[in-house]
Amino acid sequence: MLEVRNLSKSFGGVRVAHDISFAIEPGERRVILGPNGAGKTTLFNLLVGELAPTSGDILLDGKPINGLSVSERARAGLSRSYQKNNLFENLTIRENLMLAAAAGQRKTTGMFRDCFGDRKVRETVDEVAELVTLTEMLDKPVRSSSYGNRRQLEVGLALATRPRILLMDEPTSGVGPAMIDGFHRLLQSLPRNLTIGIIEHDLDLAFDVADRITVLNFGEIVFEGTPEETRGNKVVRDIYLGDWQSNA
Amino acid sequence: MFKQTRLRSVVLAATLTGLIAYCVMGGFYAREIVVEIAILAILAISLDVVAGFGGMVSLCHGAIMGIAAYAYGILTVKFGLPPLPSAVAAVAGAAVFGTVVGWITGRTSGIFFIMATLAFGQMAYTLIFKSQWLGGDDGMSGLPRFDLSWLGIKMGSSLTYGLFAIALTAAVYIAAAWVLRSAFGRTLGGIHANETRMKALGVNTILHRARAMGFSALLAGIAGIVAAQHTQFISPELLFWTISGEVLIVVILGGLGTLIGPVIGAVAFISLKHQVSGITDHWHIVVGLLLIVIVVAGGRGLYGQSEHWLAMRAGKAEDKTGDKSGDRGHA
Amino acid sequence: MDTGYWALQFLNALQFSMLLFLLSIGLTVIFGLLHFVNLAHGALYMLGAYIGVSAAASFGSYWAAFFLAPVGVTIIGAILYFTLIERLRHAGPMNQVLVTFGLIFVFLDLVRMTWGDIALGLEAPAALAGSSEFAGISYPTYRFFIIAVGAVVMAALWVGLTRTQIGAMIRAGVENGNMAAALGINVNRLFFLVFCVGCALAGLAGVIAAPVFSATTGMGISILIPTLIVVVIGGLGSLEGAIAGSLIVGFIETLGAVFLPEVAAISSYVLLAAVLILRPQGLIPARG
Repeated sequence: MLEVRNLSKSFGGVRVAHDISFAIEPGERRVILGPNGAGKTTLFNLLVGELAPTSGDILLDGKPINGLSVSERARAGLSRSYQKNNLFENLTIRENLMLAAAAGQRKTTGMFRDCFGDRKVRETVDEVAELVTLTEMLDKPVRSSSYGNRRQLEVGLALATRPRILLMDEPTSGVGPAMIDGFHRLLQSLPRNLTIGIIEHDLDLAFDVADRITVLNFGEIVFEGTPEETRGNKVVRDIYLGDWQSNA
Repeated sequence: MFKQTRLRSVVLAATLTGLIAYCVMGGFYAREIVVEIAILAILAISLDVVAGFGGMVSLCHGAIMGIAAYAYGILTVKFGLPPLPSAVAAVAGAAVFGTVVGWITGRTSGIFFIMATLAFGQMAYTLIFKSQWLGGDDGMSGLPRFDLSWLGIKMGSSLTYGLFAIALTAAVYIAAAWVLRSAFGRTLGGIHANETRMKALGVNTILHRARAMGFSALLAGIAGIVAAQHTQFISPELLFWTISGEVLIVVILGGLGTLIGPVIGAVAFISLKHQVSGITDHWHIVVGLLLIVIVVAGGRGLYGQSEHWLAMRAGKAEDKTGDKSGDRGHA
Repeated sequence: MDTGYWALQFLNALQFSMLLFLLSIGLTVIFGLLHFVNLAHGALYMLGAYIGVSAAASFGSYWAAFFLAPVGVTIIGAILYFTLIERLRHAGPMNQVLVTFGLIFVFLDLVRMTWGDIALGLEAPAALAGSSEFAGISYPTYRFFIIAVGAVVMAALWVGLTRTQIGAMIRAGVENGNMAAALGINVNRLFFLVFCVGCALAGLAGVIAAPVFSATTGMGISILIPTLIVVVIGGLGSLEGAIAGSLIVGFIETLGAVFLPEVAAISSYVLLAAVLILRPQGLIPARG
């Protein structure tokens, strides 16, 4: 469904992505692992179109999308949540979700009706709020919300457009274990036909959730496989555990 | 997000009532002032829609008004077409100009947007100024007012025209408020708050901003028609950058992003102008200093600052758990 | 058309480009470095011309004007810096635009009050009066002088920005102000220096333009727009961009007026539109 072929990106002499190729099947849960600076966020930026590749192809449903803008790819069903919260700070949580839901339902251009009063928009907002456990907080301004709630909203925004493919960039970064559990439950309750790619650092969560795992290092794929295969792979363990483990 | 709060409605009603009263009870001179205020208020409302709610500070709105005025002049004086359809066409023409400028500048924001609109506004001025056919520096005269005699309304009367201008101001305000509360207006606010996220949510922000400029230009065009019909004479001066500058100052003077602030600003500005012109010829320096002082003092403007103070006092009187963002009407 | 005619057009275009360059380099580096939008830059140019006129009248010499105008404008700029600009450095682009826009209005009337409404002339110095030969044509010597001044400033800035340590610091500040500050560069003092140089250049442009265009109250805004177009086209914060932009706009405006007079008036706007649509960051921006 989402395929990448020989994707590379350089900034002048700096190579941040090199010859990356992989394919995510419809409905698959793919986790992207890798140490800091491995190029994971860069990969996501390339996929959604916020960064243009130096070479290589990105295909959605078999059709190349290299030439499509960020908003065009989003309209094609590709949605993304950010590692650093990227919210509508001056609005309430509900208004944030409404904007996203309205965008997803293409109810953004009418000059007569208020999309915030639209029944389907409100329904979507209520559903997503439940999924990300923000139902109690809907009318709180984002500015005075906790970091954890903002993180939930960050994912909520990406979900509210009802995407076909959801890319989440470190959705649990900076949150406590209770929220990680909550996130785990969220992932279980997402529809199975939603294709999901997650950049994660929490290895337990990653191994639990993933159908397949792709490991990046220095902008290249160093391993790809099932969670069991990943756990047992020497290269991966060296990246994460370093030399001391092999000496122990 | 725009919200038509009770305070704003009250202030709007009071201002309109005051203008009507001044128009009815004052003489010819008072009515001239009322029309001037109306034109400026309509322009300022149109600018606030894109500048206050879309973050697109335009310095070409005077030029847009002038384009509508000249289009009206061309259609009625040069081609002899009837006034009402000409006015509609002229306003549509202004809207097209606004949409095109909005689309060209859609990729830019902030300072580049301002500079580009300044440039395109001056371009329009230059084209019209240099045109012999349009009368060049001498302008064009003989522009007709609407003929509503079949309704028993004498548009030639200064009282009628004054009330007409006030009615249009109210209509423009309502239209702007409506659109700002529509899906379109909400999305515009979203783009202003976080454009990259809106793009990531699938919104074509460039097209949206172009449309916003188009709608704003349509409203500004209405001001152009009123201006053209008021003195029944137009000159390229309408499109000069100082006019666009003054509209921006009026919006800031009243309160950017409040929609009613610009109306207050227009009243204050015209009143001040008439006071000052009695004393000195140098109105520009007053305008410039006024703008600087307002910005350095916090930039909320007359109405905006008042609204803020009231909200602060309401916030202090409330419990800490109360929702403070509600009654400001602009989150 | 013979070579003489082309030579004439070429020189006219080059002369206009030089004026644009002097103004745009100040504006673009101030903007690129301080992130400060100074719409009043054109007004400083206008002040340079008027101060020049008064200086020449007081001392009976063009060269007095040539020296005092940039100095005078720099002093005014420094006063502005300490009263307003510094306070607004972190106030956000909108407030900067509004305040400097207000300054345009203020200077407009101040100039009118001090020097009146009529255009004032400034005589070129005797040494530069008359014409010189170039490529078979006679061209006013004074206009050669303008081109020469522009070229000298261009070269001096090039050397200054690329070969000196201060130049490196300035370029670093343009590319990444926070990083430059973190590296110990005194960014505040640097900004003040750059701002003063920018003002001096504006004043210089005004005084050398005065003998050709006369000092008028409208000259500030009439040069501001082409300058803004140069900055947008050339790209923000870069010397190369300012050079490229001023040459492009200068030549298009001058040659356009000769060959396609109807279109000439809007030619640079069309170019502006094209750049904004196709490459909004400008041709040679200082920041990738």
